Amino acid sequence: MAQFGVISAELLARSPARQLWRDFSAQHSAVAGLVLFSAFFLLAVLSPLLTPHDPYLQNDTLLLLAPSWSELGQVQYPLGTDDLGRDIFSRLLIGSRYSFGIAVITVVGALLMGLLLGTLAGMSRGVKSSVFNHILDLALTIPSLLLAIIIVAILGPGLLNTTWAIMLALLPQFVHGIRNAIAEQLNQDYVIAYRLDGANNWQIFSRIVLPNIWEKLTLMATMALSTAILDIAALGFLGLGAQTPTAEWGAMMADSLDLIYLAPSGVAMAGLLVFLAVLSVNLVGDGLRNAVKKRRDS
Amino acid sequence: MILYLLRRVFLLAFVFIALSILAFSLGYLFPGDPLQNFTGLRTISAEQLPLLIAEYRMDQGYIQQYLGYLQRIISGDWGLSFASQQLLLVEIKMLLPATLELAAYALLISFFVGIPLGIIAAIKPDGVLSKAISALALTGYSLPIFWWALLLIMVFSLWLGWLPTAGRIGVLYEIPYQTGFMLIDILLAQSQYQQEALFNALRHLLLPTLVLATFPTTVMIRFTRDSMLEVWEQSYIKTARAKGLSRSQVLYRHGLRNALLPVTRQIGLQFSTLITLAMITEVIFSWPGIGRWLIDSIYQRNFPAIQSGLLIISTLVITVNMLTEVLHTLFNPLARKR
Repeated sequence: MAQFGVISAELLARSPARQLWRDFSAQHSAVAGLVLFSAFFLLAVLSPLLTPHDPYLQNDTLLLLAPSWSELGQVQYPLGTDDLGRDIFSRLLIGSRYSFGIAVITVVGALLMGLLLGTLAGMSRGVKSSVFNHILDLALTIPSLLLAIIIVAILGPGLLNTTWAIMLALLPQFVHGIRNAIAEQLNQDYVIAYRLDGANNWQIFSRIVLPNIWEKLTLMATMALSTAILDIAALGFLGLGAQTPTAEWGAMMADSLDLIYLAPSGVAMAGLLVFLAVLSVNLVGDGLRNAVKKRRDS
Repeated sequence: MILYLLRRVFLLAFVFIALSILAFSLGYLFPGDPLQNFTGLRTISAEQLPLLIAEYRMDQGYIQQYLGYLQRIISGDWGLSFASQQLLLVEIKMLLPATLELAAYALLISFFVGIPLGIIAAIKPDGVLSKAISALALTGYSLPIFWWALLLIMVFSLWLGWLPTAGRIGVLYEIPYQTGFMLIDILLAQSQYQQEALFNALRHLLLPTLVLATFPTTVMIRFTRDSMLEVWEQSYIKTARAKGLSRSQVLYRHGLRNALLPVTRQIGLQFSTLITLAMITEVIFSWPGIGRWLIDSIYQRNFPAIQSGLLIISTLVITVNMLTEVLHTLFNPLARKR
């Protein structure tokens, strides 16, 4: 019995977040994903300081330079240059700001809007909530690319406009998820107990509901982030998002597509970065999901 | 059950009305003259103008205009395409089967590959095989589809030269349009080169289908695995095991039936993503489907086409969504109570 007491006291002393971290860090793949994710994040913030050359400087004496590992390459240009003589390495570094950084901003924006709308929907009942649900169902069915096409048709192509489109496309799933999570929380006995103590809606929301759903929020955000990165790159690739001079990874792939016979590495590199960025997000998301599940089970 | 179906039909009607209002308002939201956007005529002569204004009720209020629009949609007059000045509905009829064909084969692959792999991965969740399948699924889940398509084109078409990069069938074969589904059309066309045409069409089909199937297959693997693991921990499985049923008997009689139920629902939810991916695949492989047409419409500022594309694709997605949900409820007595 004494042993039991010791263990439970130890468990009690450990905060939920620390328990989560212990389960999370026990998974190698999740930690690798987190390292990669942090690297992309730092890159997105610091890339202007790191680029060896100006990513938009066109050097017409060095067109289509081969990567440095080939005999024709130069070591100052690690991945060679593109058809306008711009350093591919610098462009890829700067591209993390658009493909990764803007995706993060988009998801944060959609999350905040979703939190607001989802809370309103989750805390209210009756006809209002039912109508709202049906509108959400409609919004959920419109494919994100179609939504982007419509917004681009109205506002014209550009990175900012597609950002709005992606935010709008992500919003319904956030609202849906948050509303369900809140509804689930409101049915719990401890909420009723707290309400009987005289707590008002705001107190219930801020002290009970929010701390209990933040894990779900994080999970939703990681899933949305991988979608956002893929969508921004896809729209850039189709020429609807970031426009050509911008060093966005998808747009870079579309640019180097004409040269696929001459310099296939240009297409391969930008896509590889998109893949790694999405992979890191998914690894972190999966690790987090497993850790949450493990802690709930124990 | 009847009440449930009635409620679904009511919901469907509501969603379609909301959708048509959205499509109608696009006529005003798009740049340019609303009358041109609705009719699809690029130039309207002075004699036509009063006639068209009367026909499209442009002199009346928005509600009258919307009702007129709804009537035209139902009667099949969807206006003309800016780019080709052809009837939009005729164009869509030619293009939609190509997209459906691609999406259907990809979806089939995702069933026949994804579900068995998911089940295998769930049997021994900590085994090497299971870990390998999960890693594969995560990789496929993270692949940007356009990059994946280009990599496959680079390897199989440019380096090895095995497979064609674009189109549905070689230009040598002339297949008359009957159903719009290439393989069926070839079988229906009584030509002496049927075998060769079929083989050629399959070669064209292979890469796009493979690319498009990647994402739904990985989703299926992940979802089937999670669903199986969850079912496997239920007490009725333990009861069945305790009764003396063998592992495979339990798997078939109790495990699969319960685990695959949520999977049917997942199809409906993933269909909208599948269509998005199909649109990108069509652009890369020059597949003459509705997705490529829509993206070309953006470049050509072909607003009537975008408007009708929204209607047709959303209708498709909503219908599939609703069908899978009804099927799910039909198979699952627990869901009927709600």
